[in-house]
Amino acid sequence: MVESRTRLAFLRRSRREGAIDLLFFLPLLLLLAAFLFYPLVYGIVLSLHDTQGFDLTDFVGLDHYAHAIFGDAVFHRSMVNTLLFTVAAVVLQTGLGLFLAVVLADARRGRTLLQIAFFAPFVLASVAVGTVWKFLYAPYFGIFASVGSALGFDTLAVAPLADTDTALWAVMAAFLWRFAGFNTVVYLAAIRALPREYYDYAVLEGGNRFQQFARITWPLLWPQTFPLVLLTTLGTLRIFDMVWVMTAGGPSHATETVATDVYVTAFRFLQVGYAQAMAMILLVLILLLAIVEYRVLGRRAAMVSS
Amino acid sequence: MTGLRRLHLSTVLLWLLAVVWSYPVVWTLLNAFRNSADIYRAPWDLSWPPVVGNIGEAWTRGQLGVALANSAYVTAMTVTVVLFLAIAGAYSLTRLRPPHRALLFMLVLAPLIIPTEVLIVPVFSMFRTVGLINSLPGLALFNVVANVSFATVILTGYFRTIPQDLIDAARVDGAGRVEVLLRIVVPLARPGIVAVAVLVAVFTWNDFGGSLVLIQKPDAFTVQLALSRFSTFYATDQGLTFAGMAIAILPPLLLFLVLQRSFIQGLTTGAIRR
Repeated sequence: MVESRTRLAFLRRSRREGAIDLLFFLPLLLLLAAFLFYPLVYGIVLSLHDTQGFDLTDFVGLDHYAHAIFGDAVFHRSMVNTLLFTVAAVVLQTGLGLFLAVVLADARRGRTLLQIAFFAPFVLASVAVGTVWKFLYAPYFGIFASVGSALGFDTLAVAPLADTDTALWAVMAAFLWRFAGFNTVVYLAAIRALPREYYDYAVLEGGNRFQQFARITWPLLWPQTFPLVLLTTLGTLRIFDMVWVMTAGGPSHATETVATDVYVTAFRFLQVGYAQAMAMILLVLILLLAIVEYRVLGRRAAMVSS
Repeated sequence: MTGLRRLHLSTVLLWLLAVVWSYPVVWTLLNAFRNSADIYRAPWDLSWPPVVGNIGEAWTRGQLGVALANSAYVTAMTVTVVLFLAIAGAYSLTRLRPPHRALLFMLVLAPLIIPTEVLIVPVFSMFRTVGLINSLPGLALFNVVANVSFATVILTGYFRTIPQDLIDAARVDGAGRVEVLLRIVVPLARPGIVAVAVLVAVFTWNDFGGSLVLIQKPDAFTVQLALSRFSTFYATDQGLTFAGMAIAILPPLLLFLVLQRSFIQGLTTGAIRR
């Protein structure tokens, strides 16, 4: 009896303690609830309604979703572009980032300086990067046009951003330039932390540089590759800024992404409910890809870590 | 012999690539000091003497002064609020024992896969209802939401490295939670806090999507918004555009160069260590 009463007192005390502990988390929780989870719920509601300006009018159920999925060619295009862009970004950023990291790890001198050179674009604003690359791509006086023609190619009038066949890849190059350094920096830190003995042993066994990379470096870097792939996927599926600044989705939707499509549909055409339905489809895509990557890559990463 | 030569060659190629990689940045900074005719005539060479007028003109004609002040204000506010929320939240998650801790952690992680782009329409609608459009504190609030989750996650990584014994000892000696936080946790996690502050500052300064939607009045323009108008309004005046870009990229670039070590450390530990 006495014992249970003290136990009860202890429980009550610890509940009070827990509540105080929670107090430190509360501001963050309230903020997320008000400005993230509430908009998420409101976004779902919005996507199920017709709208007049930003006010809800008629409930239309899943009509917007059906129209986006089955009847909207521009949305299809933006979906394909977004996926293409994401796959390309994942492969190229990871590949180039890793390549640079492996080469940098061997650099005898000036590694810090090299690292800064490759990483610096990451801290530049997308508006500046987009504008500068627009100039680089400009016909007649842009760097690609003039260097190409100086080398004897007929490139002076070439405008990669104005051509529907090349525009997406031209934006991709700028994107790659901006973000590859991030992967390099992460990989480089991990490579430098790998045990030297593995490589010494490989050399003793007569393994060449490529074998060392394929058998030691690459498998041991899974704990970095997984989060980098995930971060690149999450960062690229949402792509808006660079595209908006460089092409605004053009020419004729060649670089339209879901985010630019949502923006134009909501804020230019004021089809707010419909735009939000497209945004929700993008969110579902993001969740699906994140889960797939977690299942496929996360397990390998966990195996190496343990 | 061949090995030596090959190493030599790969080093040369690496440095060459680094120069090519840096070219757009250097070119931007240099073009800020050239007039438009020169930029058109020869995109890559240097003109002497430098044209200083571009900078002044970008400042007055492009209204960069006001935009810089607005961006600085929004950035300062965002960093302050994010640090306050993330430090308290990460402290609660790692060094205190709130009920349903695992669930709370999930709630912090969830926003990482819900990008602001997906919620921009309902957020705009909300902000319109409560009168936060064209409001710099409103824009700061938007940036706080966009940054607070990753900031909290990075900080939990740093807070976990602090020995629990140290905290227990202080608690036994009668120190309260706030005292432990301010006297032990914050000082010991200072490198992490600096890294987070720098990252949030750079991301907020560079934010474009948020201000594009939430700010419409020119006197509330941020640097990025002003800059995006530059290339359309002064399309023929390249010198002016480059001057504007140089001004806009310098603060994050300098911050990165000065704090490069802590910046990269924050990113690598934050992104990778889970």
